[in-house]
Amino acid sequence: MSRAWERCVPVFDIPILTRPFVALCTLGAVACGLVLYREAAGLGAASGMNDAYAWGIWKTFNIMALTGLGSGGFSIGIATWLFGRRSLHSVMRTAVLSSFLIYASGLMLLGIDVGRPWNFLWILAPWRWNVHSPMLEVGFCMPLYTAVPLFLEAIPPVLEWIHSRWPELESTAEMAESLLKRIYPWVLGLAFLLPAMHQSSLGALMLLAGNQVHPLWQTPWLPLLYVWAASFMGFAFVSVVLMVCHLVWNRSLDEDVLREMSRITAWLIATWLIFRFADLAMRGRLHLAVQISAPSALFWMEILLLLSAALMLAVASKRHNVRLAFQGSILAALGGLMYRFDPTTLAFQPRAGAFYFPTFIELLIDIGFLSLTVATFSLLAKVLPILPASTRLWRAMESARWNKSVLHPQQAEYTHYAAAD
Amino acid sequence: MVRGGAAFLRLIGHRASGTITVTLKWDRCNWTSRMYRLMHGLGKTRRLAQNEARIKMEEMVIGKRSETIADHIEASGISRRRFLEFCAVLVAMAPSGLALTKKASALEVAQKIGASKRPSVIWLHFQDCTGCTESLLHASRPDIADLIFNVISLDYHETFMAASGYQAEEALRHAVEENNGNFILVVEGSIPTREHGAYMKLAGRPALEVLRDTGSEAALVVAIGSCASWGGIPSADPNPTGALGVDSILANKAVVNLPGCPPNPYNFLSVLLEYSTMHRIPALDEYHRPKFAYDRLIHEDCPRRGHFDAGRFAGVFGDEGHRQGWCLYKLGCKGPVTHAPCSTMHFNETPGVWPIGIGTPCAGCTEKATAFRIPIFQTVDIHSITPPEALPAIDARAGSIGVAAATTVGAIAGAAATAAMIASRRLPDSKRIRAIQKSEDTTKPRNKDIDLEGR
Amino acid sequence: MEITRRHLLGSMAKGAATVFAAGGVSSVALADESRAKEKQEASQTAIAMLYDATLCVGCQSCVSACAQANNLTPDKRLDTLHQSPRDLSDTTKNVVKLYKPADGTPYSYIKQQCMHCVDPACAAACLFKALKKETGTGIVTWNPGLCVGCRYCQIVCSYHIPKFQWRGVNPRIVKCEFCKERLARGDDPACTSVCPTHAVVFGKRTSLLAEAKLRIAKSPGKYYEERVFGEREGGGTQVLYLTKASFEKLGLPKLGNEPIPAKYLKWQKRMYSYLLIPAALYAVIVSITRKSWNRHEEHLKEEEKATGLRPQL
Repeated sequence: MSRAWERCVPVFDIPILTRPFVALCTLGAVACGLVLYREAAGLGAASGMNDAYAWGIWKTFNIMALTGLGSGGFSIGIATWLFGRRSLHSVMRTAVLSSFLIYASGLMLLGIDVGRPWNFLWILAPWRWNVHSPMLEVGFCMPLYTAVPLFLEAIPPVLEWIHSRWPELESTAEMAESLLKRIYPWVLGLAFLLPAMHQSSLGALMLLAGNQVHPLWQTPWLPLLYVWAASFMGFAFVSVVLMVCHLVWNRSLDEDVLREMSRITAWLIATWLIFRFADLAMRGRLHLAVQISAPSALFWMEILLLLSAALMLAVASKRHNVRLAFQGSILAALGGLMYRFDPTTLAFQPRAGAFYFPTFIELLIDIGFLSLTVATFSLLAKVLPILPASTRLWRAMESARWNKSVLHPQQAEYTHYAAAD
Repeated sequence: MVRGGAAFLRLIGHRASGTITVTLKWDRCNWTSRMYRLMHGLGKTRRLAQNEARIKMEEMVIGKRSETIADHIEASGISRRRFLEFCAVLVAMAPSGLALTKKASALEVAQKIGASKRPSVIWLHFQDCTGCTESLLHASRPDIADLIFNVISLDYHETFMAASGYQAEEALRHAVEENNGNFILVVEGSIPTREHGAYMKLAGRPALEVLRDTGSEAALVVAIGSCASWGGIPSADPNPTGALGVDSILANKAVVNLPGCPPNPYNFLSVLLEYSTMHRIPALDEYHRPKFAYDRLIHEDCPRRGHFDAGRFAGVFGDEGHRQGWCLYKLGCKGPVTHAPCSTMHFNETPGVWPIGIGTPCAGCTEKATAFRIPIFQTVDIHSITPPEALPAIDARAGSIGVAAATTVGAIAGAAATAAMIASRRLPDSKRIRAIQKSEDTTKPRNKDIDLEGR
Repeated sequence: MEITRRHLLGSMAKGAATVFAAGGVSSVALADESRAKEKQEASQTAIAMLYDATLCVGCQSCVSACAQANNLTPDKRLDTLHQSPRDLSDTTKNVVKLYKPADGTPYSYIKQQCMHCVDPACAAACLFKALKKETGTGIVTWNPGLCVGCRYCQIVCSYHIPKFQWRGVNPRIVKCEFCKERLARGDDPACTSVCPTHAVVFGKRTSLLAEAKLRIAKSPGKYYEERVFGEREGGGTQVLYLTKASFEKLGLPKLGNEPIPAKYLKWQKRMYSYLLIPAALYAVIVSITRKSWNRHEEHLKEEEKATGLRPQL
């Protein structure tokens, strides 16, 4: 019964400077101040990282885990373009923008996390590369992905905005758009290939750690499990974003699209779980799962989260249950985050007596950056046409806000709100 | 010992007349008696006897520069055993720091010394306590006093010489002139420089002048004791006499400093014999102190070092630690900053006779920066940090969770969970959706709860 | 509007043909390439250290000598008077630890420093080859001009050797580099020069391995498992250990004979070799996407006609 999402419409009826927005920006500002402290005093002063646990939450959470949530552009894109789920095209912009913001904030945090960032310029010198290193693959692929395909995919809303806000720049915007249209398939190709490469390389990073990763997680198939997890995390996260936007900004929900997404997510999780257990069984590690120990508890927590997520999403997709879809997506996102985070920290034991817990400053910097990400998303969603909506809403927006700018000669007739479409 | 003695004799024999053996008081040498019987048997007794007489006459002339130390030893009646014992002590003192003793046995050292001529030594006292001379005298085995008078030609020494007054000063002048720049000048005591050196005068002449005159003629200048090396006690704040060490006065001269209050006598003897036998000065550090004696810290070779490494310290004099002989660092021992051989070469040739040995912290008497400047019971910083006796265990200790961090994580987790629960309640479940579908109402009710579509 | 399964299968078949062609080419290339680089062997001129824990008396002269030779500030955190490192750190490249079991079984000292593995995981992991294994001597050196400070080497090292300077603005990775300046001058490494009991000695790896085996043969029952640690562990190391106590109890990790890079990066290397497989995959993806994209453009045109609104990309 819900109207199909046909256009992307900015959140035009809510002002940008709301109290939550200001609060988020304040947290972000605090984080920026703390970043200066980290630069001046060193990593040890600002974080709880030590020689035993050399990677803290900035790497293990924001890069290893959170970019899984930021794989919406990747997984939804593949579903839309390679597998022909055309209805998902309407959420592509949301997916792309959330991916872009998560990747951008993650990469900025990575820049803060590395100790000698000035040497990263060697990335431009291929003769210096250690081509077999998974770290190189990640270090090369992630910035490239963010800067090229993800950026180009995120450009069209900006061009539209320019087109509508500044009529004098119309021709430039149109030229850019047509150029983009010409190269889009190749851009999309990169947008699917590069994340597949680096999401799997993120898994490969922990391969080299060998026995330090608990055997319940360590497997030669780690790269595949990571990229697969990224796929369903991307779906889950975009569903959550859409539903949160509905709750907070009162945007419409297209139930058909949500159901489709839930269905796909459920299938992805189910297959992933089967593969995980098969892998454990084939390598003879299942007995570790049935022992009573901290790692097995962690393992079962992940499995339970994902299993319940899969079931909830499966039910939600069959029975028109948005609440269940929301809860299921959250659990899926959480389970995926846990799975990708555990081999780096909780299931990672370099030696007896090693210990790590993030410090307050470390947490604040992380929270600040995430707050900035959310704030940026809210700002951009209000200004640019990102969130999906019906054509009716588009016309309402035009009449409410963009009255003065005429986008298309034929638009003039539709500037007034019509009761029925 | 017998064969060694024979070789020694051979050396002397060759020196004396080529092939003729010299009659010795030491009759236990089989080689000698064998040779004697042989010679006797060959009928050359008379010629031997004549040569013997000639040599004996020469030996009786004491004071001649052409005589060697060995001659004097022999003439003075000092047994070779005692001489070899002295050489053995020299070898122990500086097994490789001196060319004289480098990889040499006591016997080889004895040969080298025996073969060299007696050096002339002029010993001047300035602002001193004569402690350095006393230290030299306190060597008890062998009898150093005897040895010194026979090994060197001590031409001027205010404490030892019998003369006084004009005769003494005449001896000094005569010694300087006669030796023609060949003598060794030993200086004990600091030199006052204030009021044109009026604070110490020798026969009416300021010490400054005496030193300059004598020092300019000397072949080698040895500053014995801290006072002569860098000023010593007289130079302690406020240094009213302007006391300086010898090398500040004799700027152009090669001066060997032997600081210490007093220094170990073997420091001096080793330098002296190295110079007179091998004609070279031992390697010196940047303060002109011989490296063989002054290149190591007391701390490095201290017998109580094990206690330091184990963290066992005496806290106050007479406490349990002090009675047990634990490290005196906390009582102000300057061992960690003092270069001197006292840890290995104790005084009076008796083990344990040195400050730390008797339970008193080292005062750093050789060091200009330490002695009479830093209070005796004030602790010094350790510059060369070394590992302790205790070792770490195989695995490191773990850390702990910060309270603020734990609270933050808990707060975030709690807030997120609550928000998610509240949010999910506001979303419609299947019942509500069915209700909405049934109603088919396109007009928007105000109740957001069942509003699937926005505006 | 939607791509039907038939269409999908058709384009996938075309793509598969491309893939097989590319795959065939790449697998031929991969065959020699991967096998050649699969495993690193020790060079004939590789230098080594042999540490015999049964000879070590725990004097820690090597700890002191290392700090002096490398101009490192002594670690005085535990004890202000002594250099008392608890573990390797950014100021300690060499440490001696004591294994003293509570049940009274014989204790043992253990000297810890970089193992200079024959096929080091750290060098395989480092993205710009800041950690590199020198060809002649086999020393694993660190180059400050290339290091990004990502600390991946700390994650992958099985012996937990590289230490990072967690304070300050120019943090370095600190680890034993075999006193390469001293070696260049013709001296031996500092630790091996000062050991009073010759518990740790310096020499060529081949000679020291032979020496270790000789010691084992001469004293059966003396050394743990009658073998020298580092001959084959993790592909072999250039610091060899002879101990009486068990290797694991002394903190030496339990490793198989396969080096870590060879064991875990096999497929990574093959998949990304010459980027052939990614390129082939890209070709497939683009060919499918183009069809979808063309269809999408048609749909956009239709929508524009229907609604009169400018199409959104």
